[in-house]
Amino acid sequence: MKNKINIVLILFLLLGISCTVDEGCRKSKTVNMGISFYHVVNKDTTTVMKIDSITVQGLGVDSILYNNTKKLSKILVPLNKIVPESRFVITFDTIKDTITIEQTNTDEYLSLECGCIKVHSIDTVLTTNHFIDSVKISNHTVNTTNAEHLQIYN
Amino acid sequence: MQSIYKYIISLLFCLFLYPIQAQEKNEPAPEKKVQEQKKKEEPKEPEVKFFNGFTVQVDVASLATTALKLGDSYSMEGGIQFDLKKKYYPVFELGVAGADKFSSANAEFKTNGLFGRFGIDMNMMKKKKDSKPTSNLFLAGVRIGMSHFAYDVTNLQITDGYWGGTETVDYTNRVSTKVWYEIVAGVRVEIIKNIFMGWTVRDKNLLGTDVSGEVFPAYIPGYGLNTSNIWSINYTIGYHF
Repeated sequence: MKNKINIVLILFLLLGISCTVDEGCRKSKTVNMGISFYHVVNKDTTTVMKIDSITVQGLGVDSILYNNTKKLSKILVPLNKIVPESRFVITFDTIKDTITIEQTNTDEYLSLECGCIKVHSIDTVLTTNHFIDSVKISNHTVNTTNAEHLQIYN
Repeated sequence: MQSIYKYIISLLFCLFLYPIQAQEKNEPAPEKKVQEQKKKEEPKEPEVKFFNGFTVQVDVASLATTALKLGDSYSMEGGIQFDLKKKYYPVFELGVAGADKFSSANAEFKTNGLFGRFGIDMNMMKKKKDSKPTSNLFLAGVRIGMSHFAYDVTNLQITDGYWGGTETVDYTNRVSTKVWYEIVAGVRVEIIKNIFMGWTVRDKNLLGTDVSGEVFPAYIPGYGLNTSNIWSINYTIGYHF
């Protein structure tokens, strides 16, 4: 009886040692701000607008986020994780506008394996008005949900 | 207490009756004798005391894994278990545990802390009416565990892949209190007089959840990895006093 118990114990012990939890990160870590485009028909009516060709680039950054991309009504752009200001140059067909977002960056802990991400709260949006008529903040909180945060009106 | 009184009264009654019976020995009463003999032959349950001592025990499984450094955590624990009526076994367990874990991105989690558990086991072994109480037990029970501990999560790197730049986040001297309950089952056998060995399988369930977005411990002393449910095993050796 005692021997059988000891054998069962050793098996359990080996099982316990051999079983390790897979601690890989399975959480989304991508945080983007969503911008949608609308056309003002009249005072009370707006429609979703598909831009024929759009190019988006962070000011002072070589990498282009959208390069002459066709027929888009929404874009997703990353805000600066380190500095509380992000500037984008958006080219609508051939007309350029610069949009400045002032944001508060906050650390969000996911897990030891996933680490931390930066989430943002949009404070202010400033824009030039060559193609853009106005900008509205529809959602201040920027996290991993890929929601719409800004509405750009033409 | 009532059973003790009954026992004393019946004992006195027997003692009082014996001389009378001895005196009546010569008188012929065969029917009565047969009845008494039948009574004597009936199996009588042995009297079990309320308090039958206590066992001081240490967990050798955690000591072995700690000594062999099989994991990135350590644990040492012991306990005291009382024997009430050879049926109920209240238990108090105390230990110290810690962890030093690294993520694949080299973020470090470090903790050391004390933990305690209390609960009760029941002997599930069915004994025959006429058998003596055995020292070998099959136990099932519950525990409530608690740990109050400090921890650090350091070297969490946040890299901005688009805009450039890296920031390191450190959370130090964070304090946490965790409570959990356990459903346990195991066996205990007396290997040498008063020396017991046994194992216990534990199904641990954490009470409460961490606040999303806020830092939380990856490991809880006495519980293990910070998941809502976890299994573990203890192999104990103890001395019965």
